Amino acid sequence: MFVHLQGPWNPVWGRLSLQAIPYQNPILVGTFLFAMIAALAIVGAVFYFRAGPYLWREWFTTVDHKKIGVMYCLLGLVMLFRGFIDALMIRSQQAMAVGPHSPGYLGALHGYLTPFHIGQVYTAHGLIMVVFAATPLLVGIMNIVVPLQIGARDMAYPYLNALGFWLTAAAAALVMLSLFVGNFAHGGWYGFLPYFELPYSPGVGVDYWMWAFQLSAIGTTMGSINLIATIVKMRAPGMTWMRMPIFTWASLSTNLIALTSFPVLMVSLALLGLDRYFGTHFYTAGQGGNLMLYNDLFWVWGHPEVYFLILPAFGMMSEIIPTFSEKTLFGYATMVVASFAIGGVSWGVWLHHFFTMAAEPSVNSFYSVTTMLVGIPTGVKVFNWIFTMYRGRVRFELPMLWALLALFLLLVGGMTGMMNAFAASDYMWHNGVFVVAHFHMMVLLIASSIFGAVEYWFPKVFGFKLEQRWGKWFFWFMVLGTAWVFVPMFILGFAGMTRRLDYVPVTQWAPYLRVMLVGMAFYVVALGFFVAHLYVSLRDRMKNRVGADPWGTTRNLEWMTHSPVPAYNFAFIPRVHARDEWAWRKEHGMANLGNESFEDIHMPRNTGVPVLLGALSFALCFALVWRIWWLAAACLGLVVLVIILRSFARKTDEVIPATTVAGVERAAQDALASPARG
Amino acid sequence: MSASTNTRMQPGSTVLWEKGDAAGHDALGTRTFGFWLYMLTDAMVYAALFAAFGVLAHNAGLTSKSMLASVFDAQAAYRDTIVLFASVLAYGYAMVALKKGSRTGVAIGIIVATILGVIFLNMVTGDLEHLFSQGVVPQLNGFLSIVFTLVIYHALHIVVGVLWMLVMLMQMGRDGFTSNVVYRLINLRIFWHFQAVIWVFLFVFVYLQGKVI
Amino acid sequence: MTHSAENPLHHPEVHQASLSGYVANFLITVLVMTAALWLARDNSLPAGSLVGWTSLLALVAVLVQAYLLLHMNWSKAQIWHTVAMILFVPLFVVMIGLTMWMFHGLYQRTAIAMPHQTMAAPMHPAPAASAAAHTVKAA
Repeated sequence: MFVHLQGPWNPVWGRLSLQAIPYQNPILVGTFLFAMIAALAIVGAVFYFRAGPYLWREWFTTVDHKKIGVMYCLLGLVMLFRGFIDALMIRSQQAMAVGPHSPGYLGALHGYLTPFHIGQVYTAHGLIMVVFAATPLLVGIMNIVVPLQIGARDMAYPYLNALGFWLTAAAAALVMLSLFVGNFAHGGWYGFLPYFELPYSPGVGVDYWMWAFQLSAIGTTMGSINLIATIVKMRAPGMTWMRMPIFTWASLSTNLIALTSFPVLMVSLALLGLDRYFGTHFYTAGQGGNLMLYNDLFWVWGHPEVYFLILPAFGMMSEIIPTFSEKTLFGYATMVVASFAIGGVSWGVWLHHFFTMAAEPSVNSFYSVTTMLVGIPTGVKVFNWIFTMYRGRVRFELPMLWALLALFLLLVGGMTGMMNAFAASDYMWHNGVFVVAHFHMMVLLIASSIFGAVEYWFPKVFGFKLEQRWGKWFFWFMVLGTAWVFVPMFILGFAGMTRRLDYVPVTQWAPYLRVMLVGMAFYVVALGFFVAHLYVSLRDRMKNRVGADPWGTTRNLEWMTHSPVPAYNFAFIPRVHARDEWAWRKEHGMANLGNESFEDIHMPRNTGVPVLLGALSFALCFALVWRIWWLAAACLGLVVLVIILRSFARKTDEVIPATTVAGVERAAQDALASPARG
Repeated sequence: MSASTNTRMQPGSTVLWEKGDAAGHDALGTRTFGFWLYMLTDAMVYAALFAAFGVLAHNAGLTSKSMLASVFDAQAAYRDTIVLFASVLAYGYAMVALKKGSRTGVAIGIIVATILGVIFLNMVTGDLEHLFSQGVVPQLNGFLSIVFTLVIYHALHIVVGVLWMLVMLMQMGRDGFTSNVVYRLINLRIFWHFQAVIWVFLFVFVYLQGKVI
Repeated sequence: MTHSAENPLHHPEVHQASLSGYVANFLITVLVMTAALWLARDNSLPAGSLVGWTSLLALVAVLVQAYLLLHMNWSKAQIWHTVAMILFVPLFVVMIGLTMWMFHGLYQRTAIAMPHQTMAAPMHPAPAASAAAHTVKAA
């Protein structure tokens, strides 16, 4: 039944053998040592502080949307670090390997990375940054903020929420494992067909890539179902659609994109899996397969995915800018319409990723026009933000700085995006670094919004503000790094440099590549400032404690409960009277945080089942990568069994007694009273 | 500010906080809504598979005419159709019994639906085995790959449905009509009836129209 | 979920089940599928009209099922189910339709006709000579 493999295989270990461990590669050995030291430090700390039971009870088994959100963000940060190291390797390799006389080290002809190795590095960089850094960070922030903004006590399906997180974590772990056991795909993060077919990529790299991708897609789809159902069904009384905070609207539209497009990604990857495991002919070059079918299905997901990433970022900007302009958001209704217009148009633009496929001119023109249409709702948003700031009392605190940087990057990225929309000119720079620079502007916009959002909502989640001094150094060095890396990249794009080079043949490009390396140095310094920022903030956390409304000019429901938010979010579910309810209450002198006669609160109970399912899925995918059939079958059977057994569980809820609620509320009030506020 | 300035309220008389726990949320409706969203993502999976079918049908000519005729056996598929539709009807009967709160009625409906589901599976796997034994396999070419993938993917749903029905029989027997059991029965109804909708596409676009491609 | 105080059997989604509706659905869909089978019985219809008519019958069957089986309607209990469905359907059409359109042109411009090809709607056989002339060296 299974396709015949080249190379050794045995029934017990599958393709796994000691040769799979790359102990000859000094870079990977170094990485392994670093990872081991970090892991030992963490495990040691857990044992030293006897934090194991606490972590298991309060975090791993949690179904609390805020804690799951925090874990998503931590996962995103770790993977962001890994993706950044990959970026560092790509940039340093390209700065070294210029021209025929450039020296080679560590077995490489030029630079220090062999083509096979740098192939894995850029594949991992792309996949990690899109799927395992940006997505978890955005999903995490949506997870934390959306239920608070709509006045709900939790998500619609808390258990599913935890499951989605643990599947994503399992997928990320799979990518990390590929560093030390076997290798990773080496043909770019979105895959090349028929190059990714078994005869041309016989190793396990493509399988790692495919299963990690697939697993994270399942996790993200679960998350999107959850958020949509939460927004549709769990809003507080009085919160009509047009009273919903704009970030919630952005989350709704972005999750609609995820819900509709991720299944197509699953299909595109599953068909590749059938080709690789069963020898079918979906994407093969002969036998009636069609390799462009893969590109088609992949980008049917791929372009909506881009807007899946950017819409929450827009939502974050739409929350931050009014708060720090001390004004209501300009053009609320147009903002909502624009979000949905972007979501809708995103479903009709995917061919612009492969204009050079040789489709008919009418097809290319159609996709050119739809792509340019995206500029209209995006432009509406830009003007709305500008008009929000216009005649506002703009305060340049850290979240606002990040939001403004995001706005600026959106202009650069958006304008260059319009340039890419022309099919004729795209023939010139298809697969060139101009495109790379363009979409890095867009993802850096997303990253900026995320940093802004973290600064903005951090006090809500943890009860203290992040300090400003090191944060501003971090911000400005990120600006410097971005300018120094991507301005030369745009220039090189015009000069005709193609992407993913392991060796740069044109010596005239060397100065630009070195400038980019300087930019990377700025990024490294920025990373240092980021660590200092976090360290100082954590050290001074008692000094920076805040109350419910740390910024003073916030507008939405999430600022109507204590910071940090209690497990049940709101002691009483708020009734909503206006758009920007909190601003409305402050304006009308009704900004008290509830009354005294507390009631019992039903909450879902913590459960370890999602962790178990995540672990089993990880083992299942690992077994499939190495074709260890018995392990795969056992894990699959166990997954089904665990799901069925869990459905028989009776006690999935618990009650927080009114006395406990009263205690928590009183403690929060007291904590507020003691230090100076804000 | 538009929403806030035109509403004038007195602080004393305004209800700011709700009493009670669920704040009027419809727990059961939330469950079925989420499951319906999942069902739609599954429909999107089928849509993507049908798009692949449309693309790969261009190369249907790689399969010989006689092979195509044995793959697209419309009579056999029609027989499958009747059995699946009857199973769906039986599950519908269970839902009507649920309305009346009759445990026996629900059990009978589900058991009949399960048996018909197993018969459907038996017929489909029989046909597949027959084709495979003749050397008509998905590995032959791209067109057969997508045809078999569509058919097998649908059959896998039937397997899941049958398993789920057995689980529901047990849970109903243990707990009676608790809200957990009731929402799962409704979700299973959505799932099972949805398979009939998908089968219409499979029957018409694959089995009937596949012959003329 | 378990703390809902009301009797779950009184929920409107339990009460939308209807025996006459399910029986009517069974009879109509079986009838429509039988008609489709009859149209395709001996390959006597030209391919184009067979595809057209059977697709129309499929549409009828699916609409009946959406109304009678899946209870797509505007009632308070079902409205968001229906809205979600309406949101998805255009995307199915867009994805399948645009894909077919793209590949229809692509096959004409790049692919050489298969050996014993018997083409039907929606794609027409590509004349090999012109296909070669139009081939664009794509990445």
